[in-house]
Amino acid sequence: MTLPRRLEQSSASILQKIKESLDRLNEKMEVMIEIQKHGQHTPSQEGIPDVLDVMTLLSLPDHLRKTAVTLCKLDQATADEVAEQTKRARAVESGYLNQLVLMGYVKKERRGRKAYFYVDREREEKEANKTWEKS
Amino acid sequence: MGKIIVIHSYKGGTGKTLLAVNLAALYANQGKGVCLLDLDFRAPSLQAVFRVHNAEYWLNDYLNGVCEIKKTLRDFSQTHVRRGKLLVGFANPSTEAIREMTAKDRKWEMKALGRLLSLKTSLLNDMQLDFVIFDTSPGLQYSSINAIVSADVALVVSGMDISDIKGTQRMINELYDLFEKKTGLVMNKVFTEILQSKTHRADLAKQLLNSYNLPLIEMIPCFCDILREGGTKIFATENLEHPFIKILDRVATTIENL
Repeated sequence: MTLPRRLEQSSASILQKIKESLDRLNEKMEVMIEIQKHGQHTPSQEGIPDVLDVMTLLSLPDHLRKTAVTLCKLDQATADEVAEQTKRARAVESGYLNQLVLMGYVKKERRGRKAYFYVDREREEKEANKTWEKS
Repeated sequence: MGKIIVIHSYKGGTGKTLLAVNLAALYANQGKGVCLLDLDFRAPSLQAVFRVHNAEYWLNDYLNGVCEIKKTLRDFSQTHVRRGKLLVGFANPSTEAIREMTAKDRKWEMKALGRLLSLKTSLLNDMQLDFVIFDTSPGLQYSSINAIVSADVALVVSGMDISDIKGTQRMINELYDLFEKKTGLVMNKVFTEILQSKTHRADLAKQLLNSYNLPLIEMIPCFCDILREGGTKIFATENLEHPFIKILDRVATTIENL
């Protein structure tokens, strides 16, 4: 392989790494901004459970409801996948999803380079599904 | 990809079950695969229409995570429709089951929403059905809102009573609009005199459009002979020439294109 070609490839991979780091940084910044805006939100105060049921969905502001309903339908999804459904920008959805995480309604899990968001309907549900699959 | 249709109303007695049963039978008679589910756990009805007394599994069991959806479905394709497929899932009508369902907490309701949402995969994708029809409890019940969120299309049924019209209006503004649901309105038991006069009919349609801001799918007149049958007859199978079925045929086509 020629030297310029190798240089081109390595700079592309460096740029890709920088882009990913910036994406992660951006997500963290969004979370920090939300924390500053709302303070440390703890939805379980006064005994109200922090569950994402339909009544919670109804009480959410319009922009968050759209994201939350979409995530409920997708079960688990990345910000990209939610953005594809809502036709809004990925960065916007990422911000809203992180806000829902802060509010305690949504869980976030990092798998490799991707962040997955999901509604935690408890493990027993997944166990039950496994039992059906077996039977 | 098939569609999930929810049939809902603000008040009881608007004709949801009659519409749900006949719409399901009508689609099946067109050769389609249909699944009708009774999600009115406070006042189950479909078991009376289909004369079912016992079931190994009810829809209650599916929502409780006891069984998969297939186990709750009964096949009425041979007995209740001329062609196509008609599967029906029933709500447990025992007082104990009704009491249990009304005492569920929010966490349970959240799981139930997850299970209703997953019907899109199990019934429409895996079983390749064309339509799933949810019959629901009237008003803002948890089970009904879960059903609305899980459906692709909502059919709101209203009578001509002022309390019904006002309540339905509020429900559309405060519930349907928030979930951005494709919704259509069916006015049921409309006075025949209004429907017979072209001017009156157009006036009423205009009024309804103004107050609901929803597409008016149909205005169905009050049919005494249907009331007389007391819900024992499935007109979409037994009496295809009935004017009610002709109207329902238009409703069915509109829903498909909604």
